[in-house]
Amino acid sequence: MNRPDDELARRIVQQLDRGVQHLDPATCERLAAARKVALSHCHERPEPAFGLAWAVNAISHKGVQRPYGARYLIAVAALVLGLIGFAYWQTMTSNDFSDIDVNLLTDDLPLNAYLDRGFDSWLKRVPR
Amino acid sequence: MRRTPAGSGGAGHGTARAGADQHKGGTLATHKELADFLAEVERRAYKQAVFAVRDDHLALDIVQDAMLKLAERYSARPSAELPLLFQRILQNTIRDFYRRQKVRAIWTTPISSLFGTDPEDESDPLETLGGADDSQFSKPPAEQLEQTQVLGLIEKALEKLPARQRQAFLLRYWEELDVTEAAKAMGCSEGSVKTHCSRATHALATILKKQGIKL
Repeated sequence: MNRPDDELARRIVQQLDRGVQHLDPATCERLAAARKVALSHCHERPEPAFGLAWAVNAISHKGVQRPYGARYLIAVAALVLGLIGFAYWQTMTSNDFSDIDVNLLTDDLPLNAYLDRGFDSWLKRVPR
Repeated sequence: MRRTPAGSGGAGHGTARAGADQHKGGTLATHKELADFLAEVERRAYKQAVFAVRDDHLALDIVQDAMLKLAERYSARPSAELPLLFQRILQNTIRDFYRRQKVRAIWTTPISSLFGTDPEDESDPLETLGGADDSQFSKPPAEQLEQTQVLGLIEKALEKLPARQRQAFLLRYWEELDVTEAAKAMGCSEGSVKTHCSRATHALATILKKQGIKL
């Protein structure tokens, strides 16, 4: 901002200040009434004692976050549902594995047969 | 607080800055401090709203809303924060008015176009400049008239400015917010505030020069 700009702005503001000092009385009265109404809605809070400051601060912060409560609730619900789904999937998968284990162990075929590479090639060669 | 009450007659900048320094301690605003702050700022806020909405009654409603919101929600904030908070609330309330007006215009314009326009709307606002106030009788009538006319022309010039330029100019120079505070109140970057301010000042200089006014 250069100096001529500032100087002009200052002079304009001086004129505006002068105008504001001579507002019509009806407007001034309405403004004063509006101010009184606003101040009557003001909740004056005494400054809390040092020991209680943290607790009061925490409560007041909790109050401020109240409008976002629904959002947090939805996020937490989604997280819980996700965890339940994951746990269910894990249970199902582990059941599948245990079934395979049981079948392998109770089968007539020895377990080492599956580890033998020759067994695979023998299976491919044997006509069905 | 930045200034002394407009009604008290002493709107010196030095006093205002001294007052601001007193409140930089971050202590919570008391009921009296809030009352003093509102009394100090209400007239300028009203004029800001008048420049923006060009209607005295709507401007009063806007200022009342802004004061109410400040008192209800932010009365327990440190008094040093009140000017910026109030300006943000005021600017948002004016913006809300524009939004509502836009929505209303969608519905009312087709209807009003059926009935034609009001011929009074086309009158020149400069023709209806207010007369001199009683308190100005101490000055010579010619000087009173000139001052009133100059003020009227400045106010009309401010009304003609684009909203953002006017906002930036008034916040920076009339409300004495610094660039950072003005940017916060306007919800834009500091660079935008500087640009708007510069353009506003140049536009005002051009308009006043055209009117033959030398400040």
